[in-house]
Order: sequence, then C-alpha cells, then structure tokens
Amino acid sequence: MESKLTLEAVDHDGAIAEALDELTGGTRADFLRKAVIGGAATGAALATPALAKERNTKKDIAILRFDLNLEYLQAAMYTEAERLRQLKPRTLGWAHVVGANERGHVKAIRGLLGRDAVKSPKFNFRGVTEDDSVFTETAVAFEDLTAALLKTQAAQVDSRGVLAALVSLHSVEARHAAWIRHIAGIVPAAYAVDKPTSKARVVRLVDSTNFVTSVPRTKGRRRPGYTG
Amino acid sequence: MRRTRRTRRSELGAALALAGVLIGVAVAVVLLEGSAGPSPAESRLPPSPRSALAPRNVPLGPKPLAFWAPVRESVSTRVNPTQPQTAGNVSRRTPEGTTNIVLVLGHSRRVAGSLWVEVRFAGVPDDARGWVPRSALGGYTPVRTRLVVDRERLTATLQRGRRLVFRTRVGVGTESTPTPAGDFYVRNQLTRYRSPFYGPIAFGTTARSTALSDWPAGGFVGIHGTNRPDLIPGRVSHGCIRMANPDIVRLARLMPIGTMLTVR
Repeated sequence: MESKLTLEAVDHDGAIAEALDELTGGTRADFLRKAVIGGAATGAALATPALAKERNTKKDIAILRFDLNLEYLQAAMYTEAERLRQLKPRTLGWAHVVGANERGHVKAIRGLLGRDAVKSPKFNFRGVTEDDSVFTETAVAFEDLTAALLKTQAAQVDSRGVLAALVSLHSVEARHAAWIRHIAGIVPAAYAVDKPTSKARVVRLVDSTNFVTSVPRTKGRRRPGYTG
Repeated sequence: MRRTRRTRRSELGAALALAGVLIGVAVAVVLLEGSAGPSPAESRLPPSPRSALAPRNVPLGPKPLAFWAPVRESVSTRVNPTQPQTAGNVSRRTPEGTTNIVLVLGHSRRVAGSLWVEVRFAGVPDDARGWVPRSALGGYTPVRTRLVVDRERLTATLQRGRRLVFRTRVGVGTESTPTPAGDFYVRNQLTRYRSPFYGPIAFGTTARSTALSDWPAGGFVGIHGTNRPDLIPGRVSHGCIRMANPDIVRLARLMPIGTMLTVR
C-alpha cells in the first residue's frame, strides 16, 4: 500500500533533496532568492496574524513568529523521535540533546514575543521520526536551512536585542547542523563561507514535507448512538 | 677574600634552600589542583559562550502512556506485518461521524519498503491489536490521562500521570447489560445535540457491549451526563457510564481525546 518511506516520500516537490544537493555540492537553484520578510506569500504553516507589539517593530515580530514556527516544527519532530525511540542510538542521542535545545528555543522566543506569540501548528511526521535514515536526512536539511535563514534575518531586524537573540540561536543551530552532518556522513564544514537563504525558500521546504497538518475532527454535534 | 667565599657559599645555600621550598610548594599546588580541580587538558578549553537570550534546555517531559493518531484511510489491520492475515478493520469515521482514532503502541517495522506500526483499535470484547501502514495514519498526539471506572465501587477516577485529577460516582450497566471490563480509549466528544437523556456532553469510547451486539450504532459504550441524576450511583444503564451533568462538564475540561479507559 505505502511506497518505501524514503526521502522522496516526504519530500514531495524535492525541496529537501535540493537542499541536500546543495550541502553536497549539487544544484543551487533558488538558494539566493530574495528574502520576503514581512511578505504575504508564506505557507499556511507559517502564516501569522499581523499584530504589532510596542517594544518590537512589526518586522521584528514577523521574523520572530516565523522562527517560532520553525522551532515548533523542529522541537516537535525531535521530541517525537525521543519518545518513540525507533532511531539508532547515535541519532537518538543527537535528538535527545538537540530536542532539549529546540524546546528551549521555543520557550525563549515565546518569551520574547510575549502576547504576540503564535500557537504551535499540528504536525504529522509521516514516519520520519520512526526511520533513522530519513530522520537524519530531514534533520540535516532543517538544521542547515535554519542556520542559513537566521543569517538572512540577522541583517534585517530593527532591534539590537532581537539581533543578539538571533545570533545566539544561529550559533547553536550551526552546531546542530555540524553534528547531524557528521552523523549523516556529510562534511560538517565543507565551505569557507556559509551563504544565507530566504524565508520563501524555507516556507517552500516546510510546505513540501506536508508535516503541517489540520487538527482531526474528533468533536461532533450528532445525537449520540451509544448504548445509553 | 675568605669571608667573601663564605658569604657566597651561604648565599648559594640560601638560594638553593629557597628554590627547594618553591619547588615543594609548586609540587603541592599541582598535586592539590590535580586532585580537586579540572584536568590540565580541560582547564585549557575556554568556557562555552553564554547566550544573549539566556534560554535553558527544556528536558523531555514524563513518558506518555501511548500516542493516538487519526485514521486517514480505512484499512484492514494485520496480525503481523509480514503476513496477510487480518486482525480486523479500522474505518476512517466513527459511527458518530467524527474522525476515527487508534492508539499507537510505539512499535514500527519496515516490511518490503513500507513502514508498519502497531496499534490498538475498537474490538470485541476488548480492544484489538494489529499492524497498519504508517501512511494510513495522521500525526501522533501523546496520551497522558487514564480514566478508571470501578464497577464495584461505582466510581470514575481520572489520573494524569500519577496524579488523581477527578473523581465522581457513576452509574454503570445492569446485570443483563453490563459495562464491559477491559482496556479501551476515548475517541470522540459530542456536544450540543438535542437529547436530554445523554446530558450536555457525551464521550465515545472503543468499549463495546457484548449484550447489545445488534445496537444500531454498533453498541459502543459512552461516558455521558443524564436527565436522571437520582439514579446515580447505581447499576442502571445499558452499558454506558453515566454521571451527573456538572460532573461530565467538569470531566470534559480535564479529559482529552485519546484518554485511556480502564473498566474493572
């Protein structure tokens, strides 16, 4: 019924594969697409209401909300992997440490946003958290792209405080990326300089995985047919 | 001249003595540091940089009892993923029209390229177990609560982890239509229907009456309110678990979908 759960199975339009190609020296199409911070063309998963907060500018709030959604995604994926314990010990050890970091990031960004924080979407990881090789590939793509995105955002924020926060997150995400690359057998630091990536590209990648899903309808209004 | 030599000798002796004392002190310091502090290799490493955000790691919370997942497509479950023998069918919808859910037990196997996971689903008399393709299920949600119904004491107790968070008296099935004993789970919640008999809220479970097998909607047992609170506690129902309306409203605030149900 189900085809083999490979990277192709979760990467419907090849965005993760393309990201991995880049990591390993493949095609680089779209890599330097112009960032669309504050634009309306975000995917459903990362769409956020435009509520401004006094101490943060609208742009900074949009950037932090975007990052919060990415952190929700990563934290949920690694937490589920930790709980299911279906990965190899080495990968599980990575998920355990990085999961604690990502949950900390969620808490920290929520603290920065205060009442402007958005709720976590619902996720369906489609077996990725139960398959070591697909999990590793997906984690490499997510960690590398998060680090690349934070580089883009650091140049765009208004507040020095938010800039300091993004730089703090960036170095940790880069460590995650290097570590999971090492586990995956990819050179942790292949190039002398890392390039940034755009928000639009991250949105496209997240959308392509179909990890963000709707809340199942478990509540109804029909008259009960229970035995009584 | 003699005096000068003597002076030089004494100065040399004093210098040697001082050097000896210094070496002794240095050795003592090194030994002390070696026994109590970090190793020389560790002390050469700079400390990790501190974050401007000062976020702290958030450790993994308590282990959930299980996971629940919505059924995305109706499937036949297998006794073993490697063999075609079926363990039962799991439909996409419940008889109440809500999305059906299964309990995911945390075991997965790859067979011929497909990922299969072991699940619990509605069966007779107890919940059944079987394997389904992972692609037939939606996202996982951890289950942390368990409702225990005691048919002897006529009580319902909700536990979250080891904490007791809710307890009330209930009505259960009569002798001829008993509430089935076993392990089940809560799979839907109905509200705003027009039936005072079931009170304001009704939960659907995977427990199934063995006495009312020809019941129109499959004979599933519910947990609901009542328009006859005077009969509670008691053995008064067709198998359902009844409680006073204020109690079912309170329970609805505490008991999420997927809650495990133990009837004993």
